[in-house]
Amino acid sequence: MILKADYESRDESFKTKKSSEICFKCGICCVVRGYSCHVSYDSEKFNPRYTFVYDCLGSSDPARNPNIWLCVSCHKCEEVCPYEVSPIKFIEEMKSQAFEMGLAPSLIMSEVENILTTGYAFPISSVTLRLREELHLEPLQMKAIEDLRILSSKTGFIDKMLKAKENHI
Amino acid sequence: MKKFAFFKGCFIPIRLPHLERVSEMVFKDLDIELVKLDDFSCCPEPIGFGLNDKLTWLTLAARNIAIAEEKGLDILTICNGCYYTLKQTDSVLKGNKELKDKVNDIMRDTGHRFEGAFEIKHFVHAILEDIGLEKLGEKVKHPLKEIKVACHTGCHLISPVEIFRFDDQYDPVILERMVSALGASVSDYDLKTLCCGWTLSNYGSKASASNLIRDKLKSMKKTQADCITVTCPQCFYQFDTGQAVASRSYSLGFSLPVLFYPQLLGLALGYKLDEVFYERHRVKSSAFEAKLEEMLE
Repeated sequence: MILKADYESRDESFKTKKSSEICFKCGICCVVRGYSCHVSYDSEKFNPRYTFVYDCLGSSDPARNPNIWLCVSCHKCEEVCPYEVSPIKFIEEMKSQAFEMGLAPSLIMSEVENILTTGYAFPISSVTLRLREELHLEPLQMKAIEDLRILSSKTGFIDKMLKAKENHI
Repeated sequence: MKKFAFFKGCFIPIRLPHLERVSEMVFKDLDIELVKLDDFSCCPEPIGFGLNDKLTWLTLAARNIAIAEEKGLDILTICNGCYYTLKQTDSVLKGNKELKDKVNDIMRDTGHRFEGAFEIKHFVHAILEDIGLEKLGEKVKHPLKEIKVACHTGCHLISPVEIFRFDDQYDPVILERMVSALGASVSDYDLKTLCCGWTLSNYGSKASASNLIRDKLKSMKKTQADCITVTCPQCFYQFDTGQAVASRSYSLGFSLPVLFYPQLLGLALGYKLDEVFYERHRVKSSAFEAKLEEMLE
């Protein structure tokens, strides 16, 4: 079946993931529940085929498509794809671009900030401390913070995060 | 006694510390020493963090692996997410010298260096490879022979298959063998490979995640499962808290308690339900409790 989506973002998208060009919309990536996309059965907005083909390739600004955040990175679409198109890699690349543009969900923004500033992905509450004490588990200590600052500064991620925060909607 | 650097991650120590405690207890009973290193950071979390900057993700993960390597230890994780990050990093860097050198160059000022000379294991690998199912069976004091368990391996212990090479992505059976080794029977339900929905619930759509867990639970219940077992704390959270939420929304009319595999193992090793911290769960079932009590008498 020939794709009918207008490839407005075609040139840029294909630079990101060349194999995207060979998708022929067979639909295998969302055809059998449990063996292909987990999300497409419960969401009218998302399945790898439509999100990848129409929402991403058929858009001039695919990273602005909110449906990309419904992908759970389960890898099922790439495992069943007969042409090794791997929609997951394309959608993940769009998530990365969206993050830089400040379009990631708030929970992701706070999780990234938590990791860079505390070493943990989730905030430590008084409930956590009490539960750990009750269970005779040692208090949580984090010695990695200075290392994380050095590393994320050298990779340029701190600047990227600041830019994302400035742009965050 | 086999020794590992114990990589607890974030989710278990912060949200589900009872799973950390029970893991410590049962692995000690199995002669596995878990060495606690307090230099580890978050793995980092693969979906929320990892997708946004691959180089930083790989570098932070390589630093964690390097810390265990400096102590001469393989890593043991108790979380599918941590395994997904650490194992992929180990594999990618070992297969790409240029990238490995780049990551090591970034790490130079911290005094750490990734070599890739040690192994990254989830606890299931330690049970299969360092203990063995036959020996595990010999350690069982109370075979769970009246209990039917629905197994959920979770996506990120199996995929990407070309790196993990762990189990069949369309029909995973290894967790089922681990459950059979404890004397329990296994539920052969339809939606065995369906995701738990944790990522969807957090970053995508809570309603879709709730639909997903509802369908998965119904599929398990159809086969008369008494409980669920998982190898991942996020999956645990979905089947416990997520089930409680779905039950309110959809009036499911049944409860299927979930046990982290080390909890199920603990029961077979002779611990009581309260000793594996079942009382801390949101979803309980009096029928399951009664069956277990009768069986252990």
